[in-house]
This record gives sequence, C-alpha cells and structure tokens, in this order.
Amino acid sequence: MDISPILKNYKKIVESIGKSSFTHVGDTIYIIVEPNKLRELAEILYWKMNCYHRTCVGVDERPLNGHFALYHIFGDDTNGLHIVVKVYIDPEDPVVPSITDIVPAADWCELEAYDLLGIKFSGRKLYRLVLPPTWPHGVYPLRKETPYNYRPSVKIISGEEIGESHDKAVVPVGPYHPALHEPEYFELYVEGERVVDVKYRGFHVHRGIEKLGESRTTYQQVNFLAERICGICGFEHSVCYALAVEKAAKIDVPERAQYIRSIVLEIERIHSHLLWIGVAAHVLGYDTGFMHIWRIRELVMYIAEKLTGSRKTYGINLIGGVRKDINEEKKKEVIEKLEIVEKDLKKLIDTMVSVPELKKRLTGTGILPKSEARKLSVVGPTARGSGLDRDIRRDLPYAAYSEISFKVPVYSEGDNLARFLVRVEEVFESISIVKQLLDQLPRGDIMAESIEIPERKMGVAAVEAPRGEDVHFIITGRGKPYRWKVRAPTYNNIPALKVMLRDQALADAPLTIASIDPCFSCTDRIVVIKDGRRYKLIPNKGGVVLYG
Amino acid sequence: MGKLGFIKILVIAGEAGRVTRRYPFKPETLVSEDFRGRIEFDETKCIGCGACVNACPPNALELVDKGDGTLLLKYFIGRCIFCWRCIDVCPTGAITGTRDFELATNDVSDLYEVVVHERAECSECGGKYSTIRQKEYVVEAVPITESYIDKCPDCRKNKLLRALERRRGGVYE
Repeated sequence: MDISPILKNYKKIVESIGKSSFTHVGDTIYIIVEPNKLRELAEILYWKMNCYHRTCVGVDERPLNGHFALYHIFGDDTNGLHIVVKVYIDPEDPVVPSITDIVPAADWCELEAYDLLGIKFSGRKLYRLVLPPTWPHGVYPLRKETPYNYRPSVKIISGEEIGESHDKAVVPVGPYHPALHEPEYFELYVEGERVVDVKYRGFHVHRGIEKLGESRTTYQQVNFLAERICGICGFEHSVCYALAVEKAAKIDVPERAQYIRSIVLEIERIHSHLLWIGVAAHVLGYDTGFMHIWRIRELVMYIAEKLTGSRKTYGINLIGGVRKDINEEKKKEVIEKLEIVEKDLKKLIDTMVSVPELKKRLTGTGILPKSEARKLSVVGPTARGSGLDRDIRRDLPYAAYSEISFKVPVYSEGDNLARFLVRVEEVFESISIVKQLLDQLPRGDIMAESIEIPERKMGVAAVEAPRGEDVHFIITGRGKPYRWKVRAPTYNNIPALKVMLRDQALADAPLTIASIDPCFSCTDRIVVIKDGRRYKLIPNKGGVVLYG
Repeated sequence: MGKLGFIKILVIAGEAGRVTRRYPFKPETLVSEDFRGRIEFDETKCIGCGACVNACPPNALELVDKGDGTLLLKYFIGRCIFCWRCIDVCPTGAITGTRDFELATNDVSDLYEVVVHERAECSECGGKYSTIRQKEYVVEAVPITESYIDKCPDCRKNKLLRALERRRGGVYE
C-alpha cells in the first residue's frame, strides 16, 4: 500500500499547527507539539482524520532532557499508522492541557499519568484512579527517584457508610467476581428494575508491573513478566512487548518465528473465546452449555501444551524469536485435534443458539450504539459488535498475519448477541488461520542471530488480543526498558459499560458486564496494599467513591 | 432447527460420554511429554557461575555468599514459573527439566534445593572469589588463563595498573 500521500497529508496538518516537528519511521509517525497546540491537533486527528485514541503515556524524562513528557498515541487504522504525539512538560510545574472533552477515550490514561507521575491536566476534574486512597500524597511511583520496592506506611481509614448518598437504590456488583473471577466493583443505581446510573471502581489489582519492568528486570525477563499481566491472554502481551522492542531496536525476526508466534496467538484466541462463551452460558444459567464448551476447550489447552510446553503462560516468546519449534508430527496432531474442535463446536453452537431463553436474553440487551463506541475508541469484539470495523491483525499486520487471509466479522446491532456472534465466528476464523499458518510454515531459524538494543529508541506495537488490541509503548534504556507502558483492551472497553448498562433491566447487568469479556488484571497492573481487614466504602468530598 | 432443537444437547452429551478422570485415585499421566515442570540440578556439573541466576525472571534461583568460603546456589520451587530459561543458558548442562508438577507439600524445606560450592582463594591477598569449579572450567576452556587465574579480579586489576604505571615511569603505591 502506498502511504506517502497520507504521510504528506499528515505533514501538512502538523505544519499548519506551527512550531512542531514531524518524523516518520516505518508505520509510526512521531510528532512533537507545543502544549498549547495539543488540543487543536488532537481534535484534527481524532475527529477530522478519524483516528482512534490508543492511550497516553506519561514519562519522567528528567534524567534525559530535564522535562516530563506526555505521549498521546493515536491510531489511523484504515491507513495502518500509529501516530505518537509528544509534548514536553515543565518539570517544576507539570501542567498540560487535558483533551478529554475532545477525546473521551483519553479520560483514564490522563488520570493514570496524574496518579503515577504527578502530571496535572488543566481543564478537567482530577481524582485518584489507580492508586489506593491511602497512598501518601506527593509520592509518584513512576518518577525515576521512587525506588521500585518503596512501601509506604499505610494507615487504614475505615468508614461506616456503604455507598454514597444517592436518592436511587444502590445495588453493588462485586468487588469479588462481578463477571469473570476477578475483583472489580460496580455500583448500579436502580429505579425499580431499571439501571439508571453506574459507578465503577477498579484497579484493585494494580501490581506495579510497569515499574518492575523498568527497574528490576532485564529485557528478556520482561517477556515473562508481560505474559503474567493477564491470565487468559498473556501471550499477546508478551508478543506485543517483544514487537515493540524489536521495532525500537530494528531487530529482524526470522519468518518461522513469526509464524509460530501467530499460531500460538490464534490458539490463545480460540481458548479465550471458548472460555468466554462458556462463562456467558454460565451467567445466563445454562450450565450444560458451559460444561460442554469447556470440554471442547480442553482439547485446545492440550494443543497449547503440546506446542509450547505449558497449558497457559506459554513462556516461549523472547525478543528476537521463539524458543520452541514445531515439528511435522506436532503439525499433524494439531490439525487433527482442531478438526475435532471445529466439528464439535459447530454442533454445540447450533444447539446453544436454539435455546430460546439464551437467545432472548442475549438479543437487544446491553446495547452500545456505534457513535458511543467510536467516541470511546472501544476495541475488539465490543467494537466489532457495534459496527466498528477494526482489527489490528488486518489493519496493522504483525507477526505472520500479512501472509494469510481471514474474515473480520462485524455486526451492527451492538447488543450482547452481536458480541456473542462475533466471538463465535472468530473462533472458526482462528481455526482456519492456524491451519493456513501450519500449512505454510516456512523453514529456517526460530531466533534472530544477534540482538542488540540501542538506548533511547522508541517503539509502539499493537496486537489484537481476544478482547481487543493490546498496545505496548517502549523507550529503551541500558539493559532494560527506560519506560514500558501497557494498555490492555479492557481499559478502553470498561467506560463503555456505562452506556451499555444504562436503562437496562437489572437482571441483564451481569451478562452485559461479562459481554465485554472484561479482564481486570490486564487493566489494573499495579500496587496491592494488604491489611487483612474488610474493605468498606467511604464517601469523600469530591464525590468519588474510595476505599478505606 | 425447530423449536425443540436445543434437546440435541442430549445427543451431544451421550456422544461425549464421561470425560472427567479419576485423578488422583487412578495413577495416570496428566501431561504430555512436552510439558515443562520442575528443574533438577546435577551437582557434579554445576560450576556456580550464576548464568541461571541472571536469566531467571522470577528470582527463583539465587546465589548466596555464606561468608565462610562457600557459595550456595539456591533454588526455591515456590517462586519458579517453570520457564526453563536456566536450562537454555547453563554452560555445562547441569540443569535438566522434569515433567514433575505435583509439588504440594506441608514442609517448606521440600521446596528448596541447594548446591554448595567452595570458593577459590586468591594467591596474593587471600580473599575469596568465584568458585573452584568455575576456575577449573575456565582453565579447561581457555588454557592460557592458567597463568593469572589464581589471583582474584581485584589483584589482577591492580597488577595491571602497576605494570602500566611502571611502563610510563610513574610511581604506584
């Protein structure tokens, strides 16, 4: 694809803004603008150029150039481009204009930068999102002077009242296992049977992974750390990290390694979607379906173990390639097993969708209109269920996805059934992808010969995980990343729940929450403070729900 | 499919039959031969170089200097993620992987494995450095090192500095 006219177009836009710089490397455009021009540029990119907002990254660059920096990462999916917009921020008074009123999708990542780096955003309400309320003020974990093993002495505040004063009835969902078995808290305000408002409090399992990756581990170790960001789609994170570093360091990865990565990624997508379909059936009370889907999934887990050495957390990915090869015998076995999966699943899905209760409860519930989906830059099956035709595998092909053909299922209804069907179709597509890849598997090495990673290079990579796109951003340092930012798909999808849950029957709420296939551990990533006490909700002045 | 299509689940269930196993009452292998489990050390091959410690992502492997002339390579299974990176990097092939994963125990000491190494003594200052095994390994691989390997890295460095000073006519204390 010839992208030069598009590049020229972007260059023109950047020049019209004035006093900015424009560089282009591979599929990434780097733009540096003055802080006061940021909003203008964001508006043009997000609404005129129809770019999605991937995430924003705050970086403490004081040891490098004496400034803080904020990177807004946009994605022009139709033209296959990442657009990184950088602003320098004064280290003494780190204030930068907020863009959330123009780009609603930037809401959380701005708050995260405020929490973790102390970057203030003008023109919006700032409150703590990621850090627990008991975390001392003025200590910013991602600033370079804060050691990674810093442990604050914490005083537990405990409140009496549960929930905020509100004239509506409150139904708490969570914090234990609201959908999948992970901690997250939703507060639903109801009038009769209808949900009128939703409050969300998450980040209970923020584990400081980014800080660990920047301080304690070496480049190759981070692969394994990244794999543990998520218990279901960990390999996507590992590959995404490796791709970002490879892009930054310009490492050529052998074709065979890229194929093996793609094969394992698709195996992971199949098992993840099957897991979700099972859980959805379980949430709907159809446990027979749940059991049978998981019975079929077991074969996929066996394939994963056969190919990688482990049922989950495969541990075969490194920067520069993979660690485990696929031989002819395994190839044959995988294809045989996948054929059984395909046949069994087809039969089972046919039966499942003919269960009248199941169909009725999926149809027309949890609707996310296309316009809202676009505004929030939602990703993955949630986007594809709402008519947004975006898939990183096709739009910005990585690993071996440019070598094969596949369909991207898109439904425009935006309800739970649409998201259900997108996932079902994707499972069958994935099976066909794995077969194609195994068939075309080229000969050769599986590891790059030399791996040298220069300092202070940037890389952005996106990988289509089962739940949507993972985005990893890296600035290389000496022997380990200088800054490593992870954006998981659920991060973009949770804000959409507000729209989906509003004006719905309360009974459908658990299914709707489950319908985005939330993966909270991915989303959270940082500090846990143990106190051995029960958590209680306390109201605070800002009207934000906090934990004590 | 008609209104009663969902009843087909009975046919599916009948075909699938019973898929659960009588583990652990019936002994059977649950994992394939590709499975990565616990690692094992060959104490006669380990030289205490610490390559595995550097590679280990979760710090399951540690080198501990006891201060009494011994160096311990400690493996704590509780932290191990079974990635086998240590096996990749071990220069002597002292580590092998097993398929063992049933590691539950009520005695935590079962989860530790320790290889004890004797440290080498510097012929000049008498300080401890490296391990005797590693010294032997290096000499075997690169025989020329035999002339200076008896000294610890500090003494070697000082010796070099002294030689340089002499050549430039300076005085070295």
